[in-house]
Amino acid sequence: MTNILRAWNIFKRKPMAMVGLVMLLTVVTMAVFAPLLAPFDPYAKVPFEADKILAPPNAEHFLGTDDVGKDVWSQIIYGARISLLVGFLGSIMSILIGTMVGIVAGYYGGRMDQFLMRLVDFLMIIPGLPLMLVIIAVLGRGLDKIILVIGLLYWTYTSRLVRSLVISLKERQYILRIRSLGASHARIIFLHIFPQVVPLIVAQGVLSVSNAIISESVLSFLGLGDPLAISWGSMLNFAFARAVTRGGWWFLLPPGFAIVWVSLSVILIGTALEEIFNPRLRTHHLFDPRKMVQTKENIPAQDANAVLSVQNLSIDYIAQNGTALHAVQDVSFNLQPGRSIGLVGESGCGKTTVMLALMRLLPESGRITGGQVHFNNDNLLNKSEAQMCAIRWADLSIVFQGAMNALNPVRTVESQIIEALLHHKAVTTKEQARQRAAELLDLVGIAPQRSTQYQHQYSGGMRQRAVIAMALACNPQIIIADEPTTALDVMIQAQIIVLLNKLRKELNLSLILVTHDLGVVSEVCDDVLVMYGGKVAEYAPAEIIFKQPQHPYTQRLLQAFPDIAHPSVTLASIPGTPPQLDSLPTGCRFHPRCQLVQPICLDATPQPLPSATSHWVACHVAHNTREAK
Amino acid sequence: MTQTILSVNKLYKYFPVARTIIERLTFRPQKVVHAVDGVTFELNKGEIMALVGESGSGKTTVSMNVLGLQTPTSGQILFQDNDVARWAQGKLSAEENAALQLGRQQVMALRRKAQMIFQDPYESLDPRQTVFQIVAEPLEIHGLVQNEEEKHARVKDALEVCGLSPAEHFWDRHPDRLSGGQRQRVVIAAALVLEPELLVADEPVSMLDVSIRAEILNLLLKLRNERQLAILYTTHDLATAGFFTDKMAVMYLGRIVEIGATRDVLTNPQHPYTKALISVLPTPNKNPKQSRTILEGDVPNPINLPTGCRFHPRCPVAMTACKSTDPQLMAIDKKHQAACLLMHKEFATSR
Repeated sequence: MTNILRAWNIFKRKPMAMVGLVMLLTVVTMAVFAPLLAPFDPYAKVPFEADKILAPPNAEHFLGTDDVGKDVWSQIIYGARISLLVGFLGSIMSILIGTMVGIVAGYYGGRMDQFLMRLVDFLMIIPGLPLMLVIIAVLGRGLDKIILVIGLLYWTYTSRLVRSLVISLKERQYILRIRSLGASHARIIFLHIFPQVVPLIVAQGVLSVSNAIISESVLSFLGLGDPLAISWGSMLNFAFARAVTRGGWWFLLPPGFAIVWVSLSVILIGTALEEIFNPRLRTHHLFDPRKMVQTKENIPAQDANAVLSVQNLSIDYIAQNGTALHAVQDVSFNLQPGRSIGLVGESGCGKTTVMLALMRLLPESGRITGGQVHFNNDNLLNKSEAQMCAIRWADLSIVFQGAMNALNPVRTVESQIIEALLHHKAVTTKEQARQRAAELLDLVGIAPQRSTQYQHQYSGGMRQRAVIAMALACNPQIIIADEPTTALDVMIQAQIIVLLNKLRKELNLSLILVTHDLGVVSEVCDDVLVMYGGKVAEYAPAEIIFKQPQHPYTQRLLQAFPDIAHPSVTLASIPGTPPQLDSLPTGCRFHPRCQLVQPICLDATPQPLPSATSHWVACHVAHNTREAK
Repeated sequence: MTQTILSVNKLYKYFPVARTIIERLTFRPQKVVHAVDGVTFELNKGEIMALVGESGSGKTTVSMNVLGLQTPTSGQILFQDNDVARWAQGKLSAEENAALQLGRQQVMALRRKAQMIFQDPYESLDPRQTVFQIVAEPLEIHGLVQNEEEKHARVKDALEVCGLSPAEHFWDRHPDRLSGGQRQRVVIAAALVLEPELLVADEPVSMLDVSIRAEILNLLLKLRNERQLAILYTTHDLATAGFFTDKMAVMYLGRIVEIGATRDVLTNPQHPYTKALISVLPTPNKNPKQSRTILEGDVPNPINLPTGCRFHPRCPVAMTACKSTDPQLMAIDKKHQAACLLMHKEFATSR
């Protein structure tokens, strides 16, 4: 129920969808209240009156009359009944058949799938219209036959869509889990697979209504419908056969217009539904940030030698109801050339948001609300989108999590690097680009003979290497790596860590590593910024973070790490979860999970104060102990 | 007296590689992926065993076969002394039934006692079900409850044992309203509600934040201690395995290369692969001077296996003999075994 409400909320904000809905509802109302709305009964016998035959539009018959003197407007209203009936029943039938075939073929696979899909292929290559004519010729005329024919012909497309969805669902872990419980096939199909298919078939069904209405019109136009029932198609048929030749050309327009009207309305609705149920069709936009005024003291102060200096960066997400959620507040750090910093924290601590903001790649709902990001003493937040485009990748490059998604599957790895090089004008000729690509792949340890292969021929580790090579293409000064080792096996993780360290030394790269894995940080990073609830918890050189952490959150994170050297030590966990953005705790954001919580932590937000040279801690308890000393 | 609950004996699982039409017409021999190539181990009641290996080592295939989500090519899987190798997909054909001498009801009853926990808690819950429906579903499938009160009581119990208390606070929620750790607790509760005796946990914490991993592992430990559950834990992470398992088997390319008590394997590793895995573990508290053995490349293609010892192309201490001789598991002491030629006297001295 909540899903339907949510869908409706999105739906009603789409103007075109609402137009479609209103258009459709008008026709449905017309059909339902036909006897009340129609000025004449088109099924009643009309006495012959010469001046009423094929009369042009006039005051009494404002769409004119047909060749026996019946009111065209009334026929359109009554015709809506048949056309909509055939349209909806035909589409429901085709959807039912298509869904059933799709689920059976997709779920059971094997021979059954082979057979059904070849049948679909067969039906799809036969031209539809002649087949319909043959079937009608065999079965005889009539509305029910038309519905049947439409149902039998239009299910193929739906069945293919449903099948591919079911195949992907079948491999999902939750289906596997339910299978491992011993559930029957019927249970899995009806309780777990079918509900997921519904959104697809709703959208598909709405779109196929227009198909069905047009098919009915075509069949009726060809005189294969029920000659006694008034539908828009049969009106077209009569108009064409009897009226046009006698000068009543306007009789063609109303039924034609009605068909277009309904088809358009359902296509508008169906397209909107498809967008709602298929999130991949929703778009993201890049927004220019607002100009910022710097008011607060910088902690730590901006460092003119730093290649990247971030001051009091704050980011909000705008929720659907318009409230601003403070995802990141007052994050500051400096990155020296050739050094590396680790942004560490649990999921939901804002580290990925910070990373996206540095690149100015926040999603539509994200807003940078304060702070500065100085790249070589030049504030990135004042740049236009075009200027940012030139900086991204060329100076500030990013390695995303999930290397398999970052490569184009249908192009060779080399060609993708060459394209990037040429696009950013790092080289001028194709030959130079090829040479540079070879250098880059060599740098990350990919053998030259594998450069012309595709990503599916690469292992997970090699893909990650290729993605790193692409990030290095334009000699960037900074690389931002988002969880570069998380999805990889330990041995491959170790290989990538060695590679990152080697690249840093050889190319004097600065590196920002975003991760929740303190182990990787200890191997790669010079400095560590521990984030909690969108704020800085602790910021210090790595050896201090690992040897003398002062923030309770850092301490707990370290204790949660299993130590192979002392396997007997019990693993500590941090009970609870990071705060939700819509219900941030008062005072220190960590206080609900903190073991050392003091009364002051509930009210006052701790500021990151320097504890020693280049060591900042945002914790009342740590501040107090230091003062007591 | 320890009681063996699961005994896997010479388990083989090969997947045929699809042949092209030309290969079929020219009668090229069918190629196979050697996913699991002769794996033998035993698991006792109340014991936690780790199956450790990189992706492609076959550890997940072993657990899928144990739970009957796949049918082995050959080999025996004795679960509580019943051969369940062919209970795949919950259905048994008539002759298999006869061979097993188990009726469908008995198969279901047995199946109930072996449950699985999957890797990704974001993926392994139906997003359309509430927590209550998820945990109650296994009870419905197995027809274990007579009425609503009983169902509520058992779901509540399972959720609270898994640390989701009060259960009423959680059970109307959909999975998208839960954190990763809470979702994994729901997955465990849905397995636990059937009162299983064996849990197969396939990388249950690899998708979770480090801070939450400990919670889930501590929960599994608690369940073992309180309910004498046997747990088969597959992972590529030696660190978590070292923390809470009793026994450990290191797999490489479908074979067990080293098996023994966890402490023995970690403190006295014999196989060069195990040694390398231990050396590369990133730990914040490690001495930076400690040497690391980073193996080049990836696990080879399991279709065309290397000759001799499967590990020799990546082995830092490979000898000529390794290219031709396939080492078998050899006992180091009573419970600790490894498969490496270096353990044979003639090679150990020749080095």
